[in-house]
Amino acid sequence: MTRDMSDRQITATAPALVMRGRPEIRYKCKTPMKGMRMMMRVLMAALAALILAPVASFAQNGPLRIEITDGVIEPLPYALPGFIAETGDAGGMAADITRVIGADLSGTGLFREIPQDAHIQRFGAFDTPVSYSDWTAINAQALIVGAVAMQGDKVVVKFRLFDVYSGQQLGDGQQLAASVGSWRRLAHKVADVIYSRITGESGYFDSRVVYVSESGPKNARQKRLAIMDYDGANIQYLTDSSTIVLAPRFSPNGDRVLYTTFETGFPRIKMLNVGNVSAQLLPEVPGTMTFAPRFSPDGGAIVYSMEQGGNTDLWKMGVNGGGAQRLTNSPSIETAPSYSPDGGRIVFESDRSGTQQLYIMSASGGEPTRISFGEGRYGTPVWSPRGDLIAFTKQHAGRFHIGVMRTDGSEERLLTASFLDEGPTWSPNGRVIMFTRESPGAAGGAQLYSVDISGRNLKAVNTGGAASDPAWSPLLP
Amino acid sequence: MRMDRADKIGTGISAALHLGVIGWVLLGGQWFKPTPSDPIAISEVSVISEAEFAAMMAAAPAPAETEVTQPEAPSAEPVTAEAPEPEAVVTPEPEPEPLPEPDPVPEPQPDMTDLTTPPEPAEVVEVPPEMMPPVEIPQDTIAPEFSPRPVPKPAPRVAPTPAEAPEPDAQVSDLAQAETRPEESDEAEPIIKEPTQEAAPPEATTEIVTEATETEEVAKTSAPLSSPKPRTKPSRPAPAPAEPKPAAPAATQPAQTRDAVADALAEALAAEGGTGTGGSGRAPSGPPLTSGEKDALIVDVKRCWNVGALSSEALRTTVTVGVTMRPDGTPDIGSIRLLGSEGGSDAAARQAYEAGRRAIVRCGSDGFPLPGEKFDHWREIEIVFNPEKMRMR
Repeated sequence: MTRDMSDRQITATAPALVMRGRPEIRYKCKTPMKGMRMMMRVLMAALAALILAPVASFAQNGPLRIEITDGVIEPLPYALPGFIAETGDAGGMAADITRVIGADLSGTGLFREIPQDAHIQRFGAFDTPVSYSDWTAINAQALIVGAVAMQGDKVVVKFRLFDVYSGQQLGDGQQLAASVGSWRRLAHKVADVIYSRITGESGYFDSRVVYVSESGPKNARQKRLAIMDYDGANIQYLTDSSTIVLAPRFSPNGDRVLYTTFETGFPRIKMLNVGNVSAQLLPEVPGTMTFAPRFSPDGGAIVYSMEQGGNTDLWKMGVNGGGAQRLTNSPSIETAPSYSPDGGRIVFESDRSGTQQLYIMSASGGEPTRISFGEGRYGTPVWSPRGDLIAFTKQHAGRFHIGVMRTDGSEERLLTASFLDEGPTWSPNGRVIMFTRESPGAAGGAQLYSVDISGRNLKAVNTGGAASDPAWSPLLP
Repeated sequence: MRMDRADKIGTGISAALHLGVIGWVLLGGQWFKPTPSDPIAISEVSVISEAEFAAMMAAAPAPAETEVTQPEAPSAEPVTAEAPEPEAVVTPEPEPEPLPEPDPVPEPQPDMTDLTTPPEPAEVVEVPPEMMPPVEIPQDTIAPEFSPRPVPKPAPRVAPTPAEAPEPDAQVSDLAQAETRPEESDEAEPIIKEPTQEAAPPEATTEIVTEATETEEVAKTSAPLSSPKPRTKPSRPAPAPAEPKPAAPAATQPAQTRDAVADALAEALAAEGGTGTGGSGRAPSGPPLTSGEKDALIVDVKRCWNVGALSSEALRTTVTVGVTMRPDGTPDIGSIRLLGSEGGSDAAARQAYEAGRRAIVRCGSDGFPLPGEKFDHWREIEIVFNPEKMRMR
């Protein structure tokens, strides 16, 4: 007991000595005599502290504590041995599914696949025990083992994910089944599960993108709505190219699409049912133009821009076209509204300050707050599905950028720079942004690009032809 | 036979003429070179129609006002506002009083103010101009106002220390070369094992290079735009005002500093007096790890701490991970545990912990560079993984 007490005393006194000495160093000495005394005192205190330092350290018997603030950012290496075909006719399907899973994971830029040639352990069956040393030897940090079986017209996939360095399975094994035609979705679903187990956030592979497919020369461009998987597969056209269509937007559950059409000669909003590809015009006030529609997060309301007598303001109406309500009333142009994920606020662009800037207001209208204060002009804001960031298009010094900022306008970060980038849309997990990039010149065209919100992994999306105005769907059920 | 006078004169004139002709041939070419004709100056004009000219004239100001302000200009030609004639605005004769010349070609909307109020001739005062003191520009150094940040090269890996891409592999040449052999000596040379480097470090950059930063135009230069003026001689410092005697220092001051030595010693002795009983016996012995030894450990851990696959929420979560070490410097993997987290949800803390755990396991597998004699000090290690800096890379 007494020993403990004495220990405590030592630790208490040693710092006290140092603490008393320290403030006096800063003290301004008025006379040389006093300065000498002060110096002497400080020196002595330091000397005493030095004598006591080892004593004090004897008492420090806590663990060694270090802080790591610097690390590396690099793709996490993973191994994906070819999925095992458990039935005789599943060989091709197993290879296809393995390829799609690998493309999904490596395509994020967060993971790097270790080539199969480098693998040491080979799996003959799904239940073969994992020899972790074989995988640490090739520096694999995650290992995916799976098997595919055909049961009638169904594909059954089962897989396991292993954390190689902790030598254990990550999560439980899982089994998924789908019709043969949906095998790509099945592979995307497996990749989503793996992605979310490793990164801790949901995936985005089993999702679709609606966009405007473009054909023909720049001065006589034909446009029609098209829908595809997020990776550019399974392209289907939703409208013909008889009229110009713009800015499609998915409903929160992905079953309907809002877009702007010029079929009456003026911009008007149309709603399209993705399931049966039927579309109808939403009601409007005669003599006005309506555009830039977007669903509310609950899918019950539509916020849009209406031009009336030369002035554009934001309006809201029910999804069936009733109950139109004015949200802004100012002589400037307000457009490109986008809801926050909780439906409580709306971000939009306005030129009320003289240049195009971003503003946030309550979803029921009211006084907006400006959030963009950098150089240049800001437009087409889109609220992230996670709610933490707002993506936007920025025009500055003759270049266009896609960027993100926090909802209070801080931490602005430009992700791209080109002749013309615009129209960002968020992946369902808020990690990736897809946008339109237009190349200059008469032969130039629009193409879809995607980029990670860190600014890494900028790449073109393969749409087979010119494409613009992407809108990402939510994760499919 | 003697030359008569007329012959002499004739010869003299002939000689003089010959000399003159020879001289002209020799030198005349230099003096009387044909001068090349001046190049014909062509100035571009634009042709306007009569109607346009009339319209321009109509838009032009009536030159009558110009005439009024000129006391000695001939005002013979009456000027009408409808059809202003170009002659009316021809420059007047040079006058003793210099007037601003009206533009011979009337512009659509000339500035009227100059025409109506001719400036008064400035009076010349014969006073030598006073030298203005040189303008002092507060430019003390020629140091650049900004230091151009080295633009990091894009690379797939972001690490604390950048690394260049390794040299490409050697190519096999098509041309065969004779094999060269070291001369064989009788004595077997001792085989010296050269230290081998494991592998080239992967190419790395220090921060994420987005397209926006990569293509940023580097317009600024750190070169000074002007040479600084030499400094003026410092003026003699004004005599310092007599320093007022400090007011009698507080009475407590001497008391505090009365005897610093005795004070400090007393405290030291008092402290040491309490330790007379000695250590408890379980405390680690020997000096603690130096900061260099700690830094070596930090460098080793951060080399393996990969936050590339962390969610953005996990990148806002600081976790403290505890690990028990073995005397050979390797971590006891089973002992790695999450001691605490800050800033994110449990799921995010889990991800952040896993990343930290992987760092300890991966880089600890060869043993951390820790001094064996101080094992007691690093038997237990707590590592705080703070991703704040990595988030904005």
